[in-house]
Amino acid sequence: MTLSLTTTAPEAEVARRQTPGEPTLTYQPHVDVCDTGSGLTIRADIPGASADSIDVAFEDGVLAVHAKVPARNLPARVLRQEYGIGDYRRSFRLGEGFDGAGISAEYRRGVLSIDVPRLAAVRPRKVAVRVANA
Amino acid sequence: MNLIPFRTKRTSGIDAGNMATLADFRNEMNRLFEGFFSRPLMMPTWFEQAEPGQWMPAIDMSEDESKICVRAELPGMGPDDVDVSVSEDRLVITGEKKTESATGGNGWAHRESHHGSFTRAIPLPEAVDPSQVTARYDKGVLTVELTKSPTAASRKVPVQMGG
Repeated sequence: MTLSLTTTAPEAEVARRQTPGEPTLTYQPHVDVCDTGSGLTIRADIPGASADSIDVAFEDGVLAVHAKVPARNLPARVLRQEYGIGDYRRSFRLGEGFDGAGISAEYRRGVLSIDVPRLAAVRPRKVAVRVANA
Repeated sequence: MNLIPFRTKRTSGIDAGNMATLADFRNEMNRLFEGFFSRPLMMPTWFEQAEPGQWMPAIDMSEDESKICVRAELPGMGPDDVDVSVSEDRLVITGEKKTESATGGNGWAHRESHHGSFTRAIPLPEAVDPSQVTARYDKGVLTVELTKSPTAASRKVPVQMGG
């Protein structure tokens, strides 16, 4: 899993897409987002990828996910094709208050889980109420 | 429409539109009924639709001379969450995607992924040998390889000529 804090340069992207034999379609993965209080957990369905072909980037409050999925080698005759193979790409505008350096990501069984912690300053804090001895 | 003489040209124009809709509807019905008998292979057919409360994984199916290969997109499954069963002419994939509980905080802010139980019965284009099936789950994709049954292959029947 590479966690880079910069987004991919658009020119490089165009060059890659013109490389023959690579999938040219891009899909939006389905995601679940959970607010845990101390941060966000984002789970994205990215079946068929591998951990080292997934890029997670966070810049200017935008979390971007890009996963390369290798083209499938199908035997002779295709009878059904209900899902396409291509890259997965999706970005989320998270805004202020998140700790980019603390982001961690894990890929397991086709699901990418990203933990985005909130900055300590904006985390909800429980304030203990003391009993004043009057 | 000629049987309704009091309609103006304008309204009959609208009716022509309705007739087009009706023709679309008739074509759609024909398509559905044709689908029922001929099983168009590029899309899940209408009788394959998921039961209420269930979902259906997307699949790929391909074949060569000896094998049929079916792949299903099933991200996030555990090892005991998927069942594959095969009869001669049908592959059935069932299972359940466990709902992971939201831990603390405000819970799920946004959900798009499929959860709960699913069933997919896939009619096979040719008979297969149910004893020669392999299923593998890797990176959220289930791959089932089925071996075509040689006994069920169509037999050429020689035509005997009478004198």
